[in-house]
Amino acid sequence: MPDFAFAKPALPKTGALALLIAEGEAPWPAADSASSGGIARALKAAEFTGKKGQSCTILAPAMSGATMSRIVAVGLGKASEITQLGAEEAGGTAAALLAREPHATVAAQGLPAGLAAAVATGMALRAWRFDRYRTTEKDSEKPRLAKVTVLTDDAAAARAAHAPMAAVADGVFLTRELVAEPPNVLNPAELAQRCRRLEALGVKVEIFGPKELKKLGFGAMLGVAQGSANEPRMVVMHWNGAGTRRGARKEAAAPLAFIGKGVTFDSGGISIKPAGGMEDMKWDMGGAGTVVGLMAALAGRKARVNAVGLVGLVENMPSGTAQRPSDVVKTASGQTVEVINTDAEGRLVLADVVWYCQHRFAPRFMIDLATLTGAIIIALGHDFAGVFSNDDALSKQLQEAGEATGEKLWRMPLGEAYDKQLKSDIADMKNVGGRPGGAITAAQFIQRFVNGKPWAHLDIAGTAWSSKDAACVPKGATAFGVRLLDRLVADHYEK
Amino acid sequence: MTGFSRVAVRAVTTPPDRVPIAAPCPPGQAVPFEDGWREGQRQISGTLAACAAALATVPHAVLDARGLAPEAAIELARRVVERSWRWQALKRERDTELSRLDVWTDAPVLFEVGWTRVAAALAGQDFCRELVATPANLLTPVTFTQRLTRLRELGIGVEVLVRGDLRRAGLRGLLAVGRASANPPRVVALTWPGTQHRPGRSGGDAESPLAFVGKGLTFDTGGICIKPAEGMEAMRGDMAGAAACAGAMMALALRRSPCPAVAVLALAENAIGADAWRPADVIEMADGTEVEIVDTDAEGRIALADALVWTRRRFAPTLIVDAATLTGSIVVALGHQRAGLFCDDDTLSHHLLAAGEATGEALWRMPLGGGYREALDSDIADLRHCSPERMQPDASQAATFLQHFAGTTPWAHLDIAGVEAHEEADEEHAAGPTGFGVRLLDALAARYEADG
Repeated sequence: MPDFAFAKPALPKTGALALLIAEGEAPWPAADSASSGGIARALKAAEFTGKKGQSCTILAPAMSGATMSRIVAVGLGKASEITQLGAEEAGGTAAALLAREPHATVAAQGLPAGLAAAVATGMALRAWRFDRYRTTEKDSEKPRLAKVTVLTDDAAAARAAHAPMAAVADGVFLTRELVAEPPNVLNPAELAQRCRRLEALGVKVEIFGPKELKKLGFGAMLGVAQGSANEPRMVVMHWNGAGTRRGARKEAAAPLAFIGKGVTFDSGGISIKPAGGMEDMKWDMGGAGTVVGLMAALAGRKARVNAVGLVGLVENMPSGTAQRPSDVVKTASGQTVEVINTDAEGRLVLADVVWYCQHRFAPRFMIDLATLTGAIIIALGHDFAGVFSNDDALSKQLQEAGEATGEKLWRMPLGEAYDKQLKSDIADMKNVGGRPGGAITAAQFIQRFVNGKPWAHLDIAGTAWSSKDAACVPKGATAFGVRLLDRLVADHYEK
Repeated sequence: MTGFSRVAVRAVTTPPDRVPIAAPCPPGQAVPFEDGWREGQRQISGTLAACAAALATVPHAVLDARGLAPEAAIELARRVVERSWRWQALKRERDTELSRLDVWTDAPVLFEVGWTRVAAALAGQDFCRELVATPANLLTPVTFTQRLTRLRELGIGVEVLVRGDLRRAGLRGLLAVGRASANPPRVVALTWPGTQHRPGRSGGDAESPLAFVGKGLTFDTGGICIKPAEGMEAMRGDMAGAAACAGAMMALALRRSPCPAVAVLALAENAIGADAWRPADVIEMADGTEVEIVDTDAEGRIALADALVWTRRRFAPTLIVDAATLTGSIVVALGHQRAGLFCDDDTLSHHLLAAGEATGEALWRMPLGGGYREALDSDIADLRHCSPERMQPDASQAATFLQHFAGTTPWAHLDIAGVEAHEEADEEHAAGPTGFGVRLLDALAARYEADG
């Protein structure tokens, strides 16, 4: 991961240079004149106009007074329309083009300090790489970007703006790492231990093992876990950023609650999945990964909010002790569930954790995240995660935060007519409602454990992992939701 | 409306003797009991479904709607009539059907006034349901066309494009879809001038019609990408979009809508044969777009794309709404409870969503463009019509494909797969075709009439 510094604009003598250029604008005059107008000519020849997403690389340009290895130009789009996300994406694009360069300078001198900081954040988000298990890769094959200097007119302001963004990026990296870790390493106990790292940031971490879960009556979650040799865990993380300040309103003291599905590996259990693609099921803890990263982000930037993060961690395996299709389990709420399909296990975990969360914390809202259904992929693909909510205002806030961070949500319906599909002949409900509307009936199932509290469910099955690079997200674990929910908190819940 | 209504509905203030009286209670409420029943009269009560089921085998019944506001009485009667639909045309031994319903109401005049409009929509809905129910050996593109000629009685223009016309018009996509079948494809344009049509004036927006475009695959085997045998029989209903558009036109004409409207039905049978179209074929569509075929079972979007182009060219409509049983993906996404709405125009989308809520033909807006468009990039042509990957958001990709052919005309696409028929009867619906879309499109037109 590169180090970032901010400095007043001055043409560097060596290394690489990234020029962030708004549409129709000329390249940085200091650099262009040093090249005797060569940069402008090269960009013109490449038909580079500064449009969003455009880029152009010039190798070893002739510069008076400087020996630059490479200049990359990246388009920012229209100068009047540059958003934080746009600046991050331009930074991300630049980082990809600069991967072979140990030291780069980024000329963002026209941008306000906040956007210059966003450029650095975007670069970091793109440059992240999970290297733990690459033992034979030669250094010459590794990305080299180690130090980045962002040139901006107000370096101090950019530095101040960058600190909280970097904390959020650290949260993103934690999530990506957890999601990328293989399931033989990251089992429920190990994931719970990694949550302990958040204590260094001031987060209080409680870990519940099978005995405690049994005492709490988590029959649904324990039913999922019983097939695996790896014991389940529930982790509760508390961040009290609003504190008990005098004068703080009571409403602000009640925490926001984030709940994540953490199936560290999902074989499907007795309703076993087809072999093709089963390796993807290591990221069936993506919801939990996001909640952990989000708590790290909020604590890391000392968000003035009280928040709790709860993750239900299990492994879903077929075995002699595994639960069977047709088993009936009793949830913490007392409601019984007929398990029709053991591969619809995430909702069973969430049912108990959601119920526990609302009773223990009386939160202002609950947002759960889960790689829950294949149906949401058939509905929305990888462009949007599905949001299901009983609260129009919360849903709107979430969708806006999604637009702002590029982690987009599409609202999906709920309703009595869908809930009917969960009717069981022998228990209070079945755990699946059939193929039609599969993501909706899954959300309905969770809603049965929400007592009318403002609640939203994000089905991130199509967005937690990506098979192709995006500007700020290298392929692999995306950490979808961390930036989105951090933004939601910052925009609406820190007043 | 004589000859178009299945059930003759009238308001009465005194129920006739010896006719069963039905008093459905709203869901969740206790069964009301009224005294004063006359001797010899059968009383039917219980839920709407129970009443409607009982009434379906009674030739003449009274519906007790006393105490209800006229709109509520109309809605109740509508539900009973809609729910009592049964299709027995192909049975030699037929059960008695409800053919006469007297609505016992305190406000007979207001009821009768309001009912006219509802009756028109119900007639269109029945027309649609019958088309959807008819098996594919009896309903080919040609016989479908013949059944539409009946609409001329109502003042609807019926224009038919046969194979030669389709060739001349360049509808090569539709021709490819229908190529392997012994039953040749057709395009039928139904035109309703609207009662405020001012002939002789040209060009102005006032005369531009609303356009409905319907997918009319009278049978869909899947073609060379043949479907699994199980459930294939349901593919006789793959023309439900076209049927809904035809039904909506009937409703508009029966209620003498002031609004000019056209419906363009793309009719074809997707069969297997020695001359069938293939995956990997590239087809030059009506607007010149070269399209690579990936899956011959994604035929609806090809037929519709050509129909959209032709509709724009022929009628220059103010807006287009297409209806199609297009994808399995939308069933996975929204189930049987809602149809998918794909729309690039917020005003039109708003009107459709509102019309859906008002009629109970519920829609949910789904996304278009972006990554769904990227999935349609072809290596050798301008577009491919679907993605070869598994687990794809095919409904949004299909809609995005259609969007290309809708051009700049405000356009909405209704993916009605999953809502066009009910496997089992429920509170709202009889088993079988629902007629989904007829009342919705009729209500949409009404909103545009109201807007002037």
